[in-house]
Amino acid sequence: MTEGERSPDDTALAGEYVLGVLPLAERRAVEERMLRDPDFAALVVSWQAHLSSLDDAYQPQSPPQGVKARIDARLFAEAAPAAGGLWGSLVFWRGLAFAGLAAAAAIGIFRDDLLGSADPGAAPSLVAELGAPGSSVGLVAALDPASGALTITPAAFSPDDGKSLELWLVPGEGAPVSLGLVPDDGGRLVLDRGLAERLDAGALLAVSLEPPGGSPTGGPTGPVVLSGALGKK
Amino acid sequence: MSNDDLSGLIAQTALGDRKAFSALYAETAAKLFGVTMRILKDRAQAEDAVQEVYVRIWRRAGSFRVGQASAMAWLVTIARNQAIDMIRARQPATLDYDEAPDVADPDPDPEARAAMSGEARRIEACLGELEADKAKAVVAAYVEGLSYQELAEANAVPLNTMRTWLRRSLLKLRECLNR
Repeated sequence: MTEGERSPDDTALAGEYVLGVLPLAERRAVEERMLRDPDFAALVVSWQAHLSSLDDAYQPQSPPQGVKARIDARLFAEAAPAAGGLWGSLVFWRGLAFAGLAAAAAIGIFRDDLLGSADPGAAPSLVAELGAPGSSVGLVAALDPASGALTITPAAFSPDDGKSLELWLVPGEGAPVSLGLVPDDGGRLVLDRGLAERLDAGALLAVSLEPPGGSPTGGPTGPVVLSGALGKK
Repeated sequence: MSNDDLSGLIAQTALGDRKAFSALYAETAAKLFGVTMRILKDRAQAEDAVQEVYVRIWRRAGSFRVGQASAMAWLVTIARNQAIDMIRARQPATLDYDEAPDVADPDPDPEARAAMSGEARRIEACLGELEADKAKAVVAAYVEGLSYQELAEANAVPLNTMRTWLRRSLLKLRECLNR
């Protein structure tokens, strides 16, 4: 059996693991294998997806009152700063957004020019100019709410070392949500309807420097290089 | 609350948003306590389990992938794993059965990938293609978190027979799901 092929043994083992019938030592062995064998891990995930329709059998039952307080005590008793660090700081974001606008203005990004060349047809109704303090780089993101398409026009910026630029929506509260990778030479990112609906006037966008192909974690991992707020055109 | 809303709360939790974490708890704790109660069948242990589950959710929220599982399915998986680990920890860590007993009917389409949502519903139709007692064993194992030992006793068959049954049933299920 060559590597990557899914043998009946592996198919059955992944199913046994998801069912939960294996003794503890074998469960641990399966979990270790998932870490080093992506094909096998994919088998487990696909069994989980199939069997999850059996989850309807679990009747909701309210847990006792004190449970949430005990969870919070365990997680937050040290009153340590939230895991988000700088990313979690709204003040940081608001500051960057203003700085970004100023920088974009200072280097002479005229959105009418850029938008005119990018999409001469329907005028997008929301525009964000993304910049960074003290930096002569920037890009303009224009959203057409009707189609959910974000037109991105770069202005003198390309990452080195083969890194990718990833565009994020930074909600007023909570974690940045990835909008996708910034195309190398600009272009259009078509967003899911649900995502496009979250982009309204005042929404903050940011670009971070990520490993090739984008953040491996689902959240930003690299430095923020550009940011700006969406405004009505 | 929709699956998208739950996904959003998990994403916010991943970046350390405690308010989103509390909202996620409010929306999902009853379901996940239902899971740990059903498997552990003991209120105090189910409470301990559900605490552990939310600690894990807080720490692992960043590994949730929207395209891979529905938000609720992801949460239930964490709760099932926790409860099953706790119940298995009280049982022998290994069982004295044959290593990977013989399985018939090799998977005819090993490359086919299971899809989500609508596809997942097919498990019910495919369970219907198994003999009734085999389908029942699969469902009981999943929902109640039964061990091979418990399944063998419930079906009054030797341990190895039970394992061979269940593994064959899984391969038949897989074959049906890939069809």
